[in-house]
Amino acid sequence: MASRARLSEVCCPQHPEAHLIEDYRAGDQICSECGLVVGDRVIDVGSEWRTFSNEKANSDPSRVGGPENPLLNGSDLSTIIGPGTGSASFDGFGGTKYQNRRSMSSSDRALINAFREISNMADKINLPKTIVDRANVLFKQVHDGKNLKGRSNDAIASASLYIACRQEGVPRTFKEICAVSKISKKEIGRCFKLILKALETQVDLITTGDFMSRFCSNLGLPTSAQKAATHIARKAVDLDIVPGRSPISVAAAAIYMASQASDDKRTQKEIGDIAGVADVTIRQSYKLMYPHAKELFPEDFKFSTPIELLPQL
Amino acid sequence: NIVSTVNLNCKLDLKKIALHARNAEYNPKRFAAVIMRIREPRTTALIFSSGKMVCTGAKSEDDSRLAARKYARIVQKLGFPAKFLEFKIQNMVGSCDVKFPIRLEGLVLTHSQFSSYEPELFPGLIYRMVKPRIVLLIFVSGKVVLTGAKVRGQIYEAFDNIYPILKSFKKQ
Repeated sequence: MASRARLSEVCCPQHPEAHLIEDYRAGDQICSECGLVVGDRVIDVGSEWRTFSNEKANSDPSRVGGPENPLLNGSDLSTIIGPGTGSASFDGFGGTKYQNRRSMSSSDRALINAFREISNMADKINLPKTIVDRANVLFKQVHDGKNLKGRSNDAIASASLYIACRQEGVPRTFKEICAVSKISKKEIGRCFKLILKALETQVDLITTGDFMSRFCSNLGLPTSAQKAATHIARKAVDLDIVPGRSPISVAAAAIYMASQASDDKRTQKEIGDIAGVADVTIRQSYKLMYPHAKELFPEDFKFSTPIELLPQL
Repeated sequence: NIVSTVNLNCKLDLKKIALHARNAEYNPKRFAAVIMRIREPRTTALIFSSGKMVCTGAKSEDDSRLAARKYARIVQKLGFPAKFLEFKIQNMVGSCDVKFPIRLEGLVLTHSQFSSYEPELFPGLIYRMVKPRIVLLIFVSGKVVLTGAKVRGQIYEAFDNIYPILKSFKKQ
């Protein structure tokens, strides 16, 4: 017996001030003082069917929509006709009876395309989902701002992927992004600068250490050589032996020096291939670093080829 | 380096100019203008069929005006009624040396809203100064290139503005 009090809330007749405990599964509102069931036939919001946890359900029946993020796609209240289940959905020839030809979300079609491109590119260089998500967010922000509307979406996607890698602290060189994208380095660079201006963000400068682990593991160098190369590159930049050289070239030359001094020697060509620098560039930076080799190596480095016998190109 | 434009105010037949003038080149498939050079103030001019002309390479404002007049004279001699209207200097480029190496990383950290330094793309720092709207390319060696000025004073002003900043980022 729910008695309407002065407020429109139901309350227990004996204890009008008591807090009502709501039990949605049974559809009750129970008085906390005396246990009287006050409201009944309140709408049950529990699930309509039971799902057993050990059942390997690839479709979770308690979800009625896709789990995709509506944050990146505008208010996604549109629906599509799903693929048919059961035999009635096929017409005489075996084709599906209803074709989902309607273009859903035409304004976000470009967004969805770009997200797919970003995801493809990231996949080729094994980037984690966090970077892909960040790149998607950047792309959406750029797309909303509309001042780079004229640029090719692929270029904006590549540039936003580059920025995302930078922001996460694991920069990829422009050449690495070029390798997985069909846009030229020049265009990606241009879009990169435009995006920074449009979003008014800054990025940190790249350092030699950011690339050491990647290049060294691609070359199969042991961690001792990698640590040595990192130390060499950092010392070279601190002592300013290589003014004006791109950090990638300095890193490549440091790897060359470290690999030549240890057991696993690598040629300049191999390192150039991995790092995306020309081997003459490595030669140039190496020539600058060679005279200072003694200061550059870490103190506890085990030389299998001593410094005097390092190649002098 | 000064880049200027002038309107000769008469339609020109580029083929005829290219044929009769001595130091002219014209590939209509590549670019729609005649490229003419003179030795006296060593300059190059792009002459379009509409009668407009762009003169580049002069070392001072007067040289640019003089060179443009010389080009107009050449065109006139070929029989076109060329005039000399609206001579305007569009861009002035200057370069200088501060004679000490510069720490670009420090500069981009403090002046990040004006500077853009991307060693992978370009070895110099691109500094876009707001007050005289000038773009400066600053290199590690200490050399500075200033461009985007319409008048000589802007270049001097920009350099006076940037010099103390560069001094504070001297490498030693």
